[in-house]
Amino acid sequence: MDAPTFPTSLNIDRSLALAGAPAASFARLWQSLWVQPYVTAALLELCRLTLARLHQDDLELAASNPHVEPGALPRERRDPVLAGAADKSPAFTASEKAVLLFAECYGLDPQSIPDPVADEVRACLGEAGLVFLIEALGCIDGRIRTARCLRDLARFAPAGEDAHVG
Amino acid sequence: MSAKARAAAPATRTGNPIRDSALGLVPETVAEIVALNGAVWQKSLVSPTLLEMIRLRNARTVNCVYCKAVRYEVARADGLTEARAAMIDAGYEESALSAREKLAIALADAYLGFPAGVTADLAARLAREFSAEQIASLFVALMTFNFTSRTAVSIGGMPADPLPVMLVPAASTMD
Repeated sequence: MDAPTFPTSLNIDRSLALAGAPAASFARLWQSLWVQPYVTAALLELCRLTLARLHQDDLELAASNPHVEPGALPRERRDPVLAGAADKSPAFTASEKAVLLFAECYGLDPQSIPDPVADEVRACLGEAGLVFLIEALGCIDGRIRTARCLRDLARFAPAGEDAHVG
Repeated sequence: MSAKARAAAPATRTGNPIRDSALGLVPETVAEIVALNGAVWQKSLVSPTLLEMIRLRNARTVNCVYCKAVRYEVARADGLTEARAAMIDAGYEESALSAREKLAIALADAYLGFPAGVTADLAARLAREFSAEQIASLFVALMTFNFTSRTAVSIGGMPADPLPVMLVPAASTMD
């Protein structure tokens, strides 16, 4: 028997497909986030892991991202992010540290992102890159939240019935 | 919240408020964001009133000044008066909103909470009131409203004080 697949930010589209056209559109937007000129897929994955850590979501942290090339995230780059210590790691460039710090601040509270943190990202990625990063973080965060809710709905589905979604 | 706008809107105006915002700076995503907003308002599997209720609940939680002021005309036409919109606030459980409307708001709060999650009681009530397709539709709408309002807040430059209510035709945000 196949191991159960739990909803995570990386696989919720198949559950949400029940919603029809809006879900298909959101799935297309999600796909587009991983192929653009501003942030590499590997760095965006580190942002996803940053948000997953803030959500204290072990399933999210363990999920394998199909958008990232195998081997693109060696342990020396992944582990500091999981430990919340990317800012002290020599494995990251100043630009990468700026992006990861922005992701951390965004995850804690978008209202409280310090201007210098945003200014640093804009200096590294440009204005369009900053806006893209903000959009991407919002999509990732929303999908983590939805995945958590879908898991609960499946867990609490009445015995003998299929879960509504998830 | 930063009073300083961290990104300027594109110089070229299109008449579409999404394209004319800072989101218009990112050609790789803006077309799909416009399409997504249109799909949510035109093709969701729940009523415009329910969509507007969870949108306003999200706006209140995220504290997006613009989002709190906007009212989609399609929801107004569906019966969501300003008096009823005002009930989407603290104490909504005791308001005159319907049980279905209160459940949609409770789902929004479950999504917006930290940690996000649904209780067994809420799951059971949702299963009695909404179909699987409708629950999926509510989640897609929630993600859409949440990421766009968080984007607006993160870009900054919002007024500190509340804005007057602005009626918005959903068609104005679509291509």
